[in-house]
Amino acid sequence: MTQEIQNKLSAFITGEILKQPDRKLGPEEALISGGLIDSFSLVDLALFVEETFGVKVDDTELNAQTFDNLNQLAALIQSRQ
Amino acid sequence: MTLIQISTFVALSLLARVFGSRLPRRWTLLTISVLAVFWLQPASPIRNLDFWLPLLTISIAAAAWAVTLPAGTRPARRDGIAGFFVLGLALAVALTRYIPALCCLTPSRPPETLPLLLGMGIFFGVVWLVGRGFARQPWTLHARVLAVIFLFIILKSEPLAQLTAAGLRGLMGQDPTLAQPTDLRWLGFSYLAFRLLHTLRDRLSGRLPALYLDEFLTYAVFFPSLTAGPIDRVERFQKDLQTEFQLDAIRFLEAGERLAQGLFMKFVLGDALALFALNPANAAQVSTTGWAWLLLYAYALRLFFDFAGYTHMAIGLGLLFGIRLPENFNRPYLQPNLTAFWNGWHMTLTNWLRAYVFNPFTRALRARKWSIAPIILLGQLLTMLLVGLWHGITLNFAIWGLWHGLGLFTHNRWADFAKGRLNVSPQLAAISGALLTFHFVALGWVWFALPDPGLAGRVLRLLAGGAP
Repeated sequence: MTQEIQNKLSAFITGEILKQPDRKLGPEEALISGGLIDSFSLVDLALFVEETFGVKVDDTELNAQTFDNLNQLAALIQSRQ
Repeated sequence: MTLIQISTFVALSLLARVFGSRLPRRWTLLTISVLAVFWLQPASPIRNLDFWLPLLTISIAAAAWAVTLPAGTRPARRDGIAGFFVLGLALAVALTRYIPALCCLTPSRPPETLPLLLGMGIFFGVVWLVGRGFARQPWTLHARVLAVIFLFIILKSEPLAQLTAAGLRGLMGQDPTLAQPTDLRWLGFSYLAFRLLHTLRDRLSGRLPALYLDEFLTYAVFFPSLTAGPIDRVERFQKDLQTEFQLDAIRFLEAGERLAQGLFMKFVLGDALALFALNPANAAQVSTTGWAWLLLYAYALRLFFDFAGYTHMAIGLGLLFGIRLPENFNRPYLQPNLTAFWNGWHMTLTNWLRAYVFNPFTRALRARKWSIAPIILLGQLLTMLLVGLWHGITLNFAIWGLWHGLGLFTHNRWADFAKGRLNVSPQLAAISGALLTFHFVALGWVWFALPDPGLAGRVLRLLAGGAP
């Protein structure tokens, strides 16, 4: 289940945000603090998560303290499903 | 904060260490924080204002706590004790008027008994009414948000501040024609307002944790971060407050290191650079390009050392009492682009605006299927304009904000365009990016440092090699 969530997230981030569909994202790779995702793309990621997994991600949670890698974001989604 | 004030807080932390086992930390922190609101408040030429403003700070925070109570709940016994305790502290500060040996914690003598009782009755009566639920309807939360923003606008706008000062002078029987906007120097309100707006907004979205009055007040007016931030989040602050704490050697050394760093940065580097940093007086006199750049470099570095030094001291003082305040700076002048600069400069303010302005704004337009570029342009301009106006509602701060808004938009579009197209060495990109970013930020400081845009234009012409 977690792997499936991570795969969907990874495909969205590399394809839609980074525009590098062939790039591989590590489960612990720093997305926000590492500068991969900017503040605008974070909102897009939140909208994607809400549409795809049906869980709410608040505007105040779009920061590296709440999630900074695929593992953490997948755990956040699972905890709310 | 002055050196004496910082030393006093350090001494208090050591006293709290000695008596720590007998006095719960939360009461120690509440006591010091409430008294510090009065003690740190600068003097005002308006009679007794340096007592009323701190009292208003505490009342506004207490009223914000009352409206954020979950629907259907009543204040607990602990809240009642905290309320009377704070009332007692404020009364004790006022009564020092009659004890010459102790007078005064406030910069001038507190008001006489009759106006004092009347004023305190009004302030705390309103808080009590809200706390009892008489006025705790959903609309009161929105009303509170608007009230805080309204107060903020009055304080940050010179004409409105002057008008209010004239009104207050009239009320106190003083000459209204002598009113100045600086009469309303309300210590820490800029930061308090952002903490309160955060709690009110999170209550509206159902994300605010349950808080006791003493926890809320300590968060709102926590003395290390009262005057210059950082802007913490209440749920993080509450966790620290509820964790068992003992000031051990490791924590003490870490706090000492942060304090020493802060003192050196602010009082040695910052104050030395201030001697020749750009200001309205030397900006009008400077006549060569080289000197203009020197003044600007000194200003850019001075601003950093002063503010980052303050943050080090605030974090160091917080650590002495078991509160780990968030970081506010991360090597901003060494960052390779403007977006990274704003992720490392006054981070708690930009995080706040991102959470409560940029993200909701972007989300709303994105849901309406707007295309990317106009959303980013409008979002960055709006957010950075607000960052500018937070410093003061004046033309120069607005220009400074828009300067950065346009810069962030440009960088965003450039980064998007350059993705996978440019093939330069990472080191070269980082060094050239850092140099370019630093100079863009430094040129922006010209607007920030000089209230007169005409004078700023003169300096910018000089910096570009033109005639003054």
